[in-house]
Amino acid sequence: MRRNRQAQPPAPHLSLWPLWRRRFRLRLPILAALCIAAASPSFAATYILTVAGLGGEPDYEQRFAALATDVDKILRGGGATDRVVETLKGPDATRAKMEASLNRIASQAKPQDAFVLMMIGHGTFDGTEYKFNLPGPDISGTELAVLLNRIPAGRQLVVDMTSASGGAVAALKKDNRTIITATRNGNEKNATVFARFFVDALRDTAADTDKNEVVSALEAFNYAEKKTSQFYTEQKRLATEHPQVDDQQHAAAFPLLRYGAAAAVINDPAKKELLAKKDDIEGRIDALKYQKSLLAPDDYRKQITALLVELAKVQEAIDK
Amino acid sequence: MRLALLLLCCALAAPAQTLDRAMALWRAQDYDGANNAFKALVAANPKNAEYHYQWGQLFYERFNAEEAQNLYNEALMIDPKHAGALLGTAQILADEYNPKAEEFAQHALESNPKLYQADELMARMALEDDNRKKAQDEADAALAINPDALDAIAIRASLDLLTDKESPWVAKIGNRGKGYQTIAHFYVINRRYEEGIQYLRKAIAATPDLWSAHSQLGISLMQLAREDEARKELELAYDNHFRDAATVNSLRLMDSYKNFDTFRTPTTILRISKKETALRPYFENELKTIMATYEKKYQFKLGVPVQVEVYPDHEDFAVRTLGMPGLGALGVTFNTVIAMDSPSGRPPGEFHWASTLWHEMSHVYILTLTHERVPRWFTEGLAVHEETAIHSDWGDRLTPDVLAAIRERKLLPIADIDRGFVHPTYAAQVIVSYYEAGKMCDYIAQRWGESKLLDMAKEFASDRPTVDVIRDQLKMEPEAFDKDFLAQIDKETDKTVGGFSEWTKQVREINQLAKDGKTDEVITKGRAIEGLYPDYVEAGNVYNFVAQACLKKGDKACAMDELGRYNKIGGRDSDTVKQYATLLEEAGKTKEAAAALERLNYIYPLDTNLHERLGGLLLKINDAPAAVVEYQALVDLHPIDMAGSHYNLARAYKAAGQNDQAREEAINALEAAPDFRPAQKLLLELSGDGK
Repeated sequence: MRRNRQAQPPAPHLSLWPLWRRRFRLRLPILAALCIAAASPSFAATYILTVAGLGGEPDYEQRFAALATDVDKILRGGGATDRVVETLKGPDATRAKMEASLNRIASQAKPQDAFVLMMIGHGTFDGTEYKFNLPGPDISGTELAVLLNRIPAGRQLVVDMTSASGGAVAALKKDNRTIITATRNGNEKNATVFARFFVDALRDTAADTDKNEVVSALEAFNYAEKKTSQFYTEQKRLATEHPQVDDQQHAAAFPLLRYGAAAAVINDPAKKELLAKKDDIEGRIDALKYQKSLLAPDDYRKQITALLVELAKVQEAIDK
Repeated sequence: MRLALLLLCCALAAPAQTLDRAMALWRAQDYDGANNAFKALVAANPKNAEYHYQWGQLFYERFNAEEAQNLYNEALMIDPKHAGALLGTAQILADEYNPKAEEFAQHALESNPKLYQADELMARMALEDDNRKKAQDEADAALAINPDALDAIAIRASLDLLTDKESPWVAKIGNRGKGYQTIAHFYVINRRYEEGIQYLRKAIAATPDLWSAHSQLGISLMQLAREDEARKELELAYDNHFRDAATVNSLRLMDSYKNFDTFRTPTTILRISKKETALRPYFENELKTIMATYEKKYQFKLGVPVQVEVYPDHEDFAVRTLGMPGLGALGVTFNTVIAMDSPSGRPPGEFHWASTLWHEMSHVYILTLTHERVPRWFTEGLAVHEETAIHSDWGDRLTPDVLAAIRERKLLPIADIDRGFVHPTYAAQVIVSYYEAGKMCDYIAQRWGESKLLDMAKEFASDRPTVDVIRDQLKMEPEAFDKDFLAQIDKETDKTVGGFSEWTKQVREINQLAKDGKTDEVITKGRAIEGLYPDYVEAGNVYNFVAQACLKKGDKACAMDELGRYNKIGGRDSDTVKQYATLLEEAGKTKEAAAALERLNYIYPLDTNLHERLGGLLLKINDAPAAVVEYQALVDLHPIDMAGSHYNLARAYKAAGQNDQAREEAINALEAAPDFRPAQKLLLELSGDGK
């Protein structure tokens, strides 16, 4: 419904920025649909597997395990019942156990479910094949793809935070799968800092830039990418990792972490009319922002203020 | 047919490659042709030292000192006594203010006692060290060999002019612009930039195609922020093939000014990168405080606004210091223009920008007060003294380099300390000289009172040498001053100098104990050696080892105590200071936590997390105006969470009673994130619709 409204003013001479913003806003109905689905009888779950690979030396071993522990704790927190969280780290993070976990998820997940794989540690790339370093035998990108392809979850997200992780994209790429990597290709082989900041994104509400109480995969990526870039700039070091996301639109529509009360309200039928009104105002705000450069600054400010006050009032009524 | 004829001519001409031909091409400014001719000459005569040397001279003139040095080395391999190559090496070293230049100049003279240029070079170096007697002797030695030796004449003229005397030597320069350029050099390195510019103009008037003078004039004008004329001169030099690193980099730097914003107040001009406008309130406020302090202390007001240029790229800043002796590592002052590194120019924690600003501003006042007639040691020493006069945790700490110099008795007597800045004889001598000069001023202030420093500055203004000022103002001989001063230094540093080896050994052990998780031993041993070298707050400092051990034991009070010491002494690591602030906050010491974080604003104010945390703490202690500053800085830094930042700013404005601004910021927050509920509530409240 909002999609039609928002598609109205396609001014081709405008910059890409509003176009991107417009795409970004399109995700809200998708999110709403996801949240509604979560409360329906056909309960949609998110399966999350985090694997902290081989450190190679005590410092990395400790660091990778700690990050995986943090992820586990964050994802299990807040009484979330729609998530199935599993974490492999230290000596447990073997290829056999990783395969077993992925096979188990493949047998349990349904097409309406979502699946997230987070990989922390070291990776290698020999020019052709990416490998995730694990205690014992490593697992290659191709082997991983075979396992992931068996998982029926309709929406998949792989966050590969290892060195050389960009080398895994070709093997893992699939239509319904969003891939985030710490490096832009397999040749960025130094240990990464991206993982640290991606985990920070899951616990820092600042990552939720649109303040809709959902941290999307894109928001987490943007947060971690900016922090990674800042890290190298501040330390006056040549950046040895350039994080990338293969599909921004899908990443924007992939809710990674939900907090606050937004989800519960959306499911209340009594609020249906108010929600529709809210949706309408949001659409008008988007349209106005899209025309910002065409309006006199004072006029724009007046109009946006009026809409934002109206929206705030509607939200207040919804929250009652 | 015609081509064949041409090839024949070339073939006939090829054997005619001679030194004369190479030199003729060089004089005709056919540098590629001259280079090729030298190349052929050297290939044909690999054992001819003179050819290597002359080829080196070509490279030296064409701004490639490295290649020139290689060729001089090759000449010296063939003929170790080649006077030209020895002098060429001396010249290159002298350009870098390397005191080894004198050794090579001496060797050159031994090889050729008539080589008056070697005497001229030594005269130049002596005058750079402010060793006027030696400068005169060496210049006279050159003139004894060649009464028309231009550099020697210019040095004799400079000796007079630097003491504000009219000089009969100036007339002897005649229409030889290079001589006036030499005089300008001495004015500039003595920070008398206006007179330097005046003599560069004379040089150009005498020799209009002296492109090195055009370039130097451009650089000097740029240093004094007279950019239009600076650009014209630099471009003129560049267009006439004078393209040394200084000319090219200065033009590049001026091109980059479009990426800067300039903010003016009646007393200041602040130029900062468009990406770093968040720095503006911090710099402007600090400048205000500094000027109020120095006006009172030095008893006068500056007649013109001070210009402060803040460079995020250290290389850009470095261009501003080209050709200047000394360290120039963080900031540099040209009369009332200061160029300095931005806090982002170095990794966070390495650089205390406010300390640097106080330092450079001290130069502005002292150079103005003394009409630039002040020895280097005094202006640098006073600037170092000012860094810690305002806050004891500012300024530089006692470093291992300085400790080594004290232990090895390498501190210079007060009469000679200037050469430690200009021609250092060991790697750390410039840093050691800053420390020593600073301590000398501390000592004078402590023993004779702070006002004595002002009395000395006033006497220096009449161009009195250091030894005379010491005698007049301190009523003692310089040697006696040195004796007393060193005794004081020994008293202050005795424990650290004597215990340094033991401290180093123990720190290694503590490091291992920390790795082994032996927390109790880390705490006991750490605390036992802290007093040996309390100033050490860099990476691997004992305070941090002990604090982390305390935390591992769950003893937050112990960690807080330890980090409090680190903080008080001047520790600058952002994470460590933030950890200290967290502990204070957890212990309910909100005001102290805010104070700890405020210290970081003087170190790395480009940290979004810092402003967010500090803003929150300031709101808690009801200092809303200060919270507004912090949250505004956060917004200006374009953080990831723009909506949250505008919202926080709105809260701070509201707390400060500025509801109109608060409402505007709430709208800004919601424009970024329309569904942001806390901002919605605040907007309704501020619009009179809140419940």
